[in-house]
Amino acid sequence: MNMTASANDAPLMQIRNLDKSFGGVKAVDDVSMDLRAGIVTTLVGPNGAGKTTFFNLITGNLTRDGGQVTWLGRDTAGMKPYRIARAGVGRTYQDLRLFDGMTVWENVLNATEHGAFPVPISRAHRIARRERIERVLERTCLADKRNTRAIDLAYAERKFLSMARIMATEAKLWLLDEPASGLDPNSYERFLAILREDVAEGVTVCIIEHNLDIVIGISDRIAFLDRGRLLADGDPHTVMNDPELAKIYFGDRE
Amino acid sequence: MEAYIFNLVNLIAIYAILAVTLNFIMGYAGIYSLAHAVFFGLGAYTSAWVAQNVHPSILLTIPAAMMAAAALSLLLALPALRVRGEYFVAASLGLQVLAVTIFSEWKSFTGGIGGVLAIPPANVFGIEVFKPAHFAILSVVALVIVMALINALVHSSFGRNLRAIHDSESAAASFGKNVPMIKTISVVISAALAAVAGALYASYLSFINVESFTLDASVLVMAMVIIGGTGTVAGPIVGAALLMLLPSLISWFDFLPQTEIGALQQIIYGLGMTLLMIFRPGGIVGRRAKA
Ligand SMILES: Nc1ncnc2c1ncn2[C@@H]1O[C@H](COP(=O)(O)OP(=O)(O)OP(=O)(O)O)[C@@H](O)[C@H]1O
Ligand SMILES: [Mg+2]
Repeated sequence: MNMTASANDAPLMQIRNLDKSFGGVKAVDDVSMDLRAGIVTTLVGPNGAGKTTFFNLITGNLTRDGGQVTWLGRDTAGMKPYRIARAGVGRTYQDLRLFDGMTVWENVLNATEHGAFPVPISRAHRIARRERIERVLERTCLADKRNTRAIDLAYAERKFLSMARIMATEAKLWLLDEPASGLDPNSYERFLAILREDVAEGVTVCIIEHNLDIVIGISDRIAFLDRGRLLADGDPHTVMNDPELAKIYFGDRE
Repeated sequence: MEAYIFNLVNLIAIYAILAVTLNFIMGYAGIYSLAHAVFFGLGAYTSAWVAQNVHPSILLTIPAAMMAAAALSLLLALPALRVRGEYFVAASLGLQVLAVTIFSEWKSFTGGIGGVLAIPPANVFGIEVFKPAHFAILSVVALVIVMALINALVHSSFGRNLRAIHDSESAAASFGKNVPMIKTISVVISAALAAVAGALYASYLSFINVESFTLDASVLVMAMVIIGGTGTVAGPIVGAALLMLLPSLISWFDFLPQTEIGALQQIIYGLGMTLLMIFRPGGIVGRRAKA
């Protein structure tokens, strides 16, 4: 847990009264939240609560119906997803969206390549980049699979490749959409270790996760979303011990 | 006989340039264009005009052809690639239909239906290239240069970006890629290089008309790519060679009804393509379908 970020720091991202409806369904309903540097926020809530939609609104993948999102003090209204990404907001997808026809190495390398034109890069830069990718592949245990195409990887390897891509970027904020779902205990221990290291290095994380062990183990704060509404937002133990929320979460609502 | 063979070499090389450049957007970016013959044609007309009115040096005709095609493709790609990929096929088809009308009507530039006659032969550093055997050197060198360029692009960050976009546009954007811009550039490069084929074609035949630049030609080039193997290096060349050799092969077998050569050709390549897609969807050179 990172206690260095004081409550007075301006939040990296400020979300105010965010709204999004699909037809008659309010997928995100008047949600406000601050994402502060160094804080790990976990977004929990039942299926269909609007968690992924919330990410899609922040990253510009979906346009919001109402509300405001500022990133580093700047309103992101009308910004294209690639601009928001370049400004330092990284994300993974629940369905991964790997570059399936490309190798593991190419997937990670390409995550760092923004420009439309192939610009010649210096030797030093090239070496630094290669080392960075090597390190990411080692940490995600994908080094032996570097020449395997993404589509030929096993399930857990695909999840780690999704992480590896974002680890290779310079993103300040990581929005992780169920990165650990379906992982075996060993794999998610490794996943937690990766996350802790990167958080210690200054990455701010907002993670959607169903596994309560992970939630408790890593979160500084939990935000509870249900039917588009933010029902609770605070200290992990307080939120997880709230009997009303537990009822909603475990699905035995009347 | 020798002239006959070199004539085939030239036509195969020219169509191979078209197939290779179409494969660049089809195979790597997943952009399907039915307007490739438009850029072929615009390149041919532009080069013919420059050769007749300015100078027949390929150092002038080819760059002029490329620039004209690049400019037109930009007009097509800029609006069409901001929307979803499928619309590009429709937009390119529209451009193809429109272009045939313009090619047939714009007499001062294209000679109308009659076409452009007496185009001067290609002038390479002061030497006029007349003979099919000599022109074959030019056309094959051009093909090799185009292939080398595309190969370099495919293996650069630009090529990886195209493949990333092909696999997932939204993920590519999440890694900072300006997807419409990258797609637009790929279409412009493809069109400009297709115009090289047009310039060669005009100076080789010394006569061009709209017949060579119709929707049929666009479909033929697409068939070359698909039959040879989309997204492969050798595929478009194999496809181009095969389809250009087809008429000669038919005339070789004199038991076939020679008066119906056109129809026969259509039947063979239609049937061939259908069977190929059923049994070997990756094309002749392409990977077998994954189990
Ligand atoms: N593109 C879309 N078009 C229409 N409805 C959508 C769309 N995306 C999401 N929805 C709807 O919005 C609601 C919230 O969906 P969302 O995917 O955000 O939930 P979630 O909390 O991520 O759920 P899960 O835990 O299953 O991933 C659901 O009712 C869903 O059906
Ligand atoms: Mg979701």
